[in-house]
Amino acid sequence: MTRRVTAAAMAALMGASVLAGCGGTGTAQTSAASKTSAAAASSTATTAAPAGSTSGDVSMVFAWWGNQTRNERTTNAIEQYQKDNPGVKIDGQFSEWNDYWQKMATAAAGGQAPDIMQQDYQYINQYAKSGQLLDLTPYIENGTLDSSKWDKNMLESGTVDGKIIAICAGMNAPALVYNKTITDEAGVTIKDNMTLDEFVAAAKTIYEKTGYKTDLSYGTVQEPMNYLLRSDGVVLFGDGKLNATKEQLTKYFKVYEDGIKEGWELGPDVYADITIGSIEQAPIVAGTSPDKSAWNTLLWSNQYTAMNKLAKEGMDLEMTTWPSPDPKKSDFIKPGQFFSVTSGTKNPQEAVKFLNYLINSTECNDILMGERGVPINSDVADKIKSQLDETDQKIYNYIYNVVQPNCSVINPPYPDGYAEAGKVLNNVVEELCYGQIDASQAADEFLAQGGAALAAKSGS
Amino acid sequence: MGNQQPVKTAASAPARKRKIGNPINNEKTAGYIFTLPFTFGFLMFMVVPMAISLYYAFCQYNILQPPVFIGWDNFAKMGSDAIYQKSIGVTFYFALVSTPLRLIFALFVAMLLLENNKLSGFYRATYYLPSIIGGSVAVSVLWKRMWATDGTINRILGINFPWLGDTRTAIWVLIILAVWQFGSSMLIFLSALKQIPQSLYEAAMVDGANGWKRFWKITFPLLTPTIFFNLVMQLINGFLAFTQCYIITQGKPMYSTEFYTVYMYDQSFTYYNTGYGAAMAWVMVLIISAVTAVLFATKKFWVYDGGL
Repeated sequence: MTRRVTAAAMAALMGASVLAGCGGTGTAQTSAASKTSAAAASSTATTAAPAGSTSGDVSMVFAWWGNQTRNERTTNAIEQYQKDNPGVKIDGQFSEWNDYWQKMATAAAGGQAPDIMQQDYQYINQYAKSGQLLDLTPYIENGTLDSSKWDKNMLESGTVDGKIIAICAGMNAPALVYNKTITDEAGVTIKDNMTLDEFVAAAKTIYEKTGYKTDLSYGTVQEPMNYLLRSDGVVLFGDGKLNATKEQLTKYFKVYEDGIKEGWELGPDVYADITIGSIEQAPIVAGTSPDKSAWNTLLWSNQYTAMNKLAKEGMDLEMTTWPSPDPKKSDFIKPGQFFSVTSGTKNPQEAVKFLNYLINSTECNDILMGERGVPINSDVADKIKSQLDETDQKIYNYIYNVVQPNCSVINPPYPDGYAEAGKVLNNVVEELCYGQIDASQAADEFLAQGGAALAAKSGS
Repeated sequence: MGNQQPVKTAASAPARKRKIGNPINNEKTAGYIFTLPFTFGFLMFMVVPMAISLYYAFCQYNILQPPVFIGWDNFAKMGSDAIYQKSIGVTFYFALVSTPLRLIFALFVAMLLLENNKLSGFYRATYYLPSIIGGSVAVSVLWKRMWATDGTINRILGINFPWLGDTRTAIWVLIILAVWQFGSSMLIFLSALKQIPQSLYEAAMVDGANGWKRFWKITFPLLTPTIFFNLVMQLINGFLAFTQCYIITQGKPMYSTEFYTVYMYDQSFTYYNTGYGAAMAWVMVLIISAVTAVLFATKKFWVYDGGL
């Protein structure tokens, strides 16, 4: 009997050990261990580096997420900087989006955060509020970081609680990418700053004439919903609560509900077959028949380049603004990514100098070529523009000539709890599209559960 | 236990004579040294992280900030978390349906492969292959494509059904993938089948027992210890399944395929409710312990424990 109990206990323990690995601590342990080498490297650097001077042996870690193109270009820029600044060694570490945030969280928890990190609007608040990011204000004041040529709105977007903790790495704007071949076939003209009603009318006509459906963004509804509610003067994801009223939400949920009923919106089952967020699988380029494909997709301007590469033969992809009842109030220019210096860095001066190189050096940006978005330094942006190909030129024109004259200031950074509240929104839209609930129930459900998710995180 | 006592003393008596006082020459010391790498790893990467996770289970912890002790709040939260409760239902359904199916399939294939000929080694390796690669990301991605509306399965059947987009069928896509990974149970069954003495079958045949009877009267009873072992191991695997759900369905549609582990992962690393995630992990430990204990309690009713 005792043997059996022991065996049962062992079996349970086996299960437990696997779970512990998933539960977080396992990852933290191994990650901390793998970071030890980096820590050793930077601690040797401190002893040698005289503060504020240009020479001496400095070793720093720079981490970012991204794609193959970005990794190559950034690595080349780092090499150039090391050549120009002997004695400075920068270890570039890149990963995929999801892995990146896991790595950063565990590294930060172990006090081993990289010296310079790429940041995002979604996480900036969380990192700033937990004191992980260095206030760059003194470095801008003493001129180490030159802000004279920057777009001032973008400087604002990296400010939390009056501290400048992140510098925009490239400007972006919401962009509706559409297949002009299909809209021409349907005899529909898509113009910039289209209203929501015009968009729905166009979607219906296209569906009737060609059979192609409309991609209303599924699994990533947070951004379009945010965008639409800006036209009502509402910042949807507030600190500790959702700011929209039931009527405002119902109005927009109704578009989803009607789209499914009237047939012009892609059904939720289409999205079950693909990986949400992968532009390679987006129904606009990957659909195999009209009823499983879309004539449009809601993206960001810097994704236009990649989308264009995926276009099939004879597919003419164009770019315009997202639809909204009031485009001027809704539209905004967004920092695509940020660069931040972490508060734990041993060499703040050197880290800021490298940051200055990334943002302000034309030489560096000749290598990076605006892959992260349009540079905030106007001199740098002008210099690059002349060297861009046709597709990238379009993005520049779109940002400067279409969005900039007709947009409003971006919402403050997302609050803590945004990830969970956003997931609630997507689930509610899923239930809505499967016909389980109607628009008004969707609004109730989202306000209750999404609000609770934000409230749970406020004040923490 | 009692009858082993004299053997032990007999073995340790000569050892005591050899000892010269230096502890390094002690056989026990050598044993400890040899197991040191494992002991160290076990303590550092299993016991310590588990202890820390137990502490986090009682904390509000978001990785970035130090944990704050909040008592039983994380566990209380599970009572009002509808998605959590749904994920328990889905996980039980998945484990309790896929495990028996997988074992039946494994036993069936093992019996087919029992015959020895030139190709049997090749077949055994081939059928084992899905178990090695079945849990991988690549196979999950492939599986997702196969069951897509415009995928292979629909092409073969000549229909246009959204398997992954329908709440009734999506979980079955995952169950079928799990059943397909029957290899390791199959190998264990195979070796157990080979242990059954041929003479029993011969005697049964002389008595006029047909194949069906021979299976239920000889094969099955003698296999019950192996079935029991496979059942316990595979059930635990079923409760801990992660990759298939994470890659193929992400819990869609409408949480109808949300596995416990995937929800735990999302809570811990996507929403940064890591304390809550740790609490969920410990509840899973209790669930698995309870299920295993129940299985062991039923053992005496159906598992043949005697010799041949």
